Amino acid sequence: MPGAGLPDSVRRVNLEAEGKTYEAVPFDIDEARVRAFHDLFGGPPGVPPTFLTAAEFSVLPHVIGDPELSLDFTTVVHGSQEYEFHRPLLLGETLTVVARIASIRQKGGNGFLVIEMRMTDVTGRTVAVTRSTMIERAASA
Amino acid sequence: MTIRFEDLRVGDDLPALARTVTREDVRAYADAGGDPNPLHQDDAVARMAGFPGIIAHGMFTMGHLGACVSSWVGDPASVVRLSAQFRAPVFMGEEIVAGGRVRSLDPETRTATAELWVTVEREGTTEFAIRKGEAEVRFPD
Repeated sequence: MPGAGLPDSVRRVNLEAEGKTYEAVPFDIDEARVRAFHDLFGGPPGVPPTFLTAAEFSVLPHVIGDPELSLDFTTVVHGSQEYEFHRPLLLGETLTVVARIASIRQKGGNGFLVIEMRMTDVTGRTVAVTRSTMIERAASA
Repeated sequence: MTIRFEDLRVGDDLPALARTVTREDVRAYADAGGDPNPLHQDDAVARMAGFPGIIAHGMFTMGHLGACVSSWVGDPASVVRLSAQFRAPVFMGEEIVAGGRVRSLDPETRTATAELWVTVEREGTTEFAIRKGEAEVRFPD
């Protein structure tokens, strides 16, 4: 259990949490919220490709607040982001979001955490997969 | 205006899309995207993190990049993959410019792959807020 029992300042993400899957959470492709994205970013009609960030952020608190993961979120930055669409998103549909710790690595004192979220429709088919790489920066000397 | 797969050539530029980042827009994104991190809303918190003031969400910048790609293609539903690496913070009042270039074309699947970036001019040099971005766009028959 790396990090267990250590003070927060030297706490590090728990490498053994790799592969952990979290409880399914529903997410609505809410029309008003899609409109808010449109008002902000513009672009042609339809659901903007980065809209699923809203789904990720409805689930993320469960992941980053997980005591088993032992992540010090005050040092975390968003390193990279990926969206993969298996079919177009439909206005008004409800997706089921399941988060998984796809990988945890340590490199140069920093922790690299890939959080993958699989989003399925009412028939159970995968609609989209998102991957967020979070970097837990080493405490500055 | 919509482009056709047949008209694309490797090396074609995506039309660049510029916007000035304002405090109001970043606050609107925090609400729409569901990301209440005070680093993007509270100057005091941002200063404690070593920045001169609040910075835009990485996903704000990527939302703008998504609009650049969607506007180029004409339909967000054609975007089957979108990825980005966040490399530099973006401050209030700065202009971000999203752009890209067609890297490969697959006539069999009518899919175009483009490399993407978002730049910001700062003190005479071009910084990359996003680099090594990539989009895969599938065109209807």
